[in-house]
Amino acid sequence: MDQSELKSRIKRALLEELDLRGRSEADIDDAAPLFGEGLGLDSLDALQLAMAIEERFGVSMPEGEASRAIFASVNAIAEHITRTKAAG
Amino acid sequence: MGERERIAVTGLGLVTSLGFGRERSFSRLCAGERGISEVSLFDSSGLKSRIAAEVRGLDVAAIAPHGEAADWSRSDALAFIASREALAQAAHVEGSPLGLAMGGTTGGMYETERALAAIAPGRGTPLDARRLLDFPLAVTVGRVARALGHVGPSATVCSACSSGAVAIALGASWLLAGRATRVLAGGVDGLCQLTFTGFNALGAVDPEPSRPFDESRAGLTLGEGAGCLVLELESSARARGAPIIAFLSGWAVASEAHHVTHPEPSGARAASVLMDAVLAAGLSTSQIDYVNAHGTGTIQNDAMEARALARVFPEDVGRVWVSSCKAQIGHTLGAAGAIEAAITALSVSRGLVPPTAGLERPEAKNLRHVRESHQAAPLRAALSSSFGFGGACAVLAFEAPSAERRLLSGKITGEIVISGAASYGPAGVLRGAASSRYFTAPATPQGESFDPLALLDPERSRRFGRASAIVVATAESALRDAGREGAGTGFVVGSAFGDVERSVRFLQKVLGQGPKFASPAEFPQLIASTGSGNASLYLGLTGPCLSVSEFGTSGQAAVSVAISLLELGLANAMLVGAAEARDPIVDAVLSEGGRVQRGEGGGFVVLEELTVALSRGRVPLAVVAEHHALRADAERAFASLPPPPSSSCIVTGFLPSPLVGVLNRSPWRAVRLCSLPAIVGQHEAIGATALAVAVAEVAAGGVEQALVVTADVDTVYLTRLCRYQAQA
Repeated sequence: MDQSELKSRIKRALLEELDLRGRSEADIDDAAPLFGEGLGLDSLDALQLAMAIEERFGVSMPEGEASRAIFASVNAIAEHITRTKAAG
Repeated sequence: MGERERIAVTGLGLVTSLGFGRERSFSRLCAGERGISEVSLFDSSGLKSRIAAEVRGLDVAAIAPHGEAADWSRSDALAFIASREALAQAAHVEGSPLGLAMGGTTGGMYETERALAAIAPGRGTPLDARRLLDFPLAVTVGRVARALGHVGPSATVCSACSSGAVAIALGASWLLAGRATRVLAGGVDGLCQLTFTGFNALGAVDPEPSRPFDESRAGLTLGEGAGCLVLELESSARARGAPIIAFLSGWAVASEAHHVTHPEPSGARAASVLMDAVLAAGLSTSQIDYVNAHGTGTIQNDAMEARALARVFPEDVGRVWVSSCKAQIGHTLGAAGAIEAAITALSVSRGLVPPTAGLERPEAKNLRHVRESHQAAPLRAALSSSFGFGGACAVLAFEAPSAERRLLSGKITGEIVISGAASYGPAGVLRGAASSRYFTAPATPQGESFDPLALLDPERSRRFGRASAIVVATAESALRDAGREGAGTGFVVGSAFGDVERSVRFLQKVLGQGPKFASPAEFPQLIASTGSGNASLYLGLTGPCLSVSEFGTSGQAAVSVAISLLELGLANAMLVGAAEARDPIVDAVLSEGGRVQRGEGGGFVVLEELTVALSRGRVPLAVVAEHHALRADAERAFASLPPPPSSSCIVTGFLPSPLVGVLNRSPWRAVRLCSLPAIVGQHEAIGATALAVAVAEVAAGGVEQALVVTADVDTVYLTRLCRYQAQA
């Protein structure tokens, strides 16, 4: 899967799993922060996203602080998925 | 201000993982024993935490009345055992008047899950679907009531982890208002996969037994059980010579309106609720010797609670004993507030403070923790606190039985009026008098395509199901109609089955794909208090926010509870009603093969005292002249209605044929009748729609008085509304 297709799937996961109604893929910047100021997501969203990434991409997420860096942006999530798949 | 008596506790019943019965539970609790082990009720493999405080050796078939074993849930049995023990201690004579108020969050969910697991994916039959509706929250009260030969008011309340404490406050209100002379109040929750996988998904559980207030704490341990208190007025207990275990002297119930799962971190809100309970009890903080804390063992809760206690006792927090029972009996959710109330009553009665087991390195070093084993200390008064999901706070204040007799300041409730209303039906949300169109208009097609979520801010209504969207959108319209803000307003929503389809989807995923695919964000949307939690957060409601479970009369049951909470002085106004969304599973079962036209909808009203409404410059839409829940006494109540004025109407929700006969023998027999199910379709919140439509018809000037009648299997609700007439 190429990176743009992967990022598009990540954005669809964000929109559906976090119930971001009224927003589209185009509203999510690849490099923009997801939590705090960005999309305004919270810790409950982080838990949901971790489960969804495992379910949709077969890649598990580390717990706690380590996941924070991965959830920084769509780019960072894509990188984690690509790296983990390559290692596996 | 008037005066009121203290409430005497004359009976206690407990079932916990430490044992059946109050003596066994309390003595093992004081000894520091822990009733926590690997859960045996279901497969917990693959989960972070596999332990629970499970009640072992519970034989439901041996507890249930003959022939009812297959219908009784573990929660029913737990509640019945605790009820029986409490009533026996109070020397209650079976069949004599008794109110019954129970709190809980999941009812017979464990049995629903067994039924669901037995259905092959995609091959469910209508019979299977019916089984999924056999164990809603409200059935426990009904089953316990029948088994006890109960006569009197009853209610099932849910405010997440403070449910049991709220049920006790509600029971106290019935005594003070004279609705009951004795009340059995408590809480029950059985373990189930929904909560077990849900709390795991939230990462809120500790793989090891929980360690409340410890630096190394890592989450809660779930538990199950039941706690019940028999309550009566002090004068009643003394007159019949009943031994008084403790006094329930005060209470406070409020909401943080902060976050769906996280407490407000500063503890300021929790502190104000603790303080309110102390003041309501006519005490000062210097008289409180013990706080039985909520103490779940989660990072956030315990830190918040320590801050709250430091705020309440700024001078002498180190003097007050503090402990949490949850390291020994687990977090029993909807039962916790009642179980811990019973434990707190025993503590002040005996001068024994149970420990916080497993506490080795206290994080809050300013608190006077009780560690390892119990502490013997004379206790003048103690608080039992509960802080639940959605910021649902409740605190009860108990006094030792030796406390000198005194009267407390009480509230005199004036005339209650409706200052705002809204309905939801085929025409969408209609505010105020606009709902009167259902009274005059011919049948309108059901607005299937109407999207209630479109009425709400998308950011703040994320994850709302259709049911929550309807509840919040309709309630918001009623609140605005009354010109009120959320602050100081409470909320009661009636609920019948909850979001069945969504719960089933969550559980099917857990059962099919494994527990690690339990959705953390979905879980908080699946408990019985979801509607009230969402409304509290969305509308900023800071009064008591809870849901009330009943079947086809849940909106009217909610009104009864809301009136009681106004009488207790717990809010300036109550936003109250019910609303239901179409649910494929509920509709499949209750449409009786298409013979019943099902719909969706509901209604909300704002209740407040006339003087409060007038002081805000509001002209009430209608005056609540009377509101009753009737059982065997329906015939007499209808017969004794005052004759209707020339311009009046009856608006009905569900009206079974025997009730038509009762109406035809009443003074209101010739009055024009508007049957709403024929207009908007049948659903469980139809009585709430009827109330909003009747208010609208009175407000629009169509009639001087309106009678709202709706019924269920064994309860009839009658509400009489009058047009407001300003005093000359």
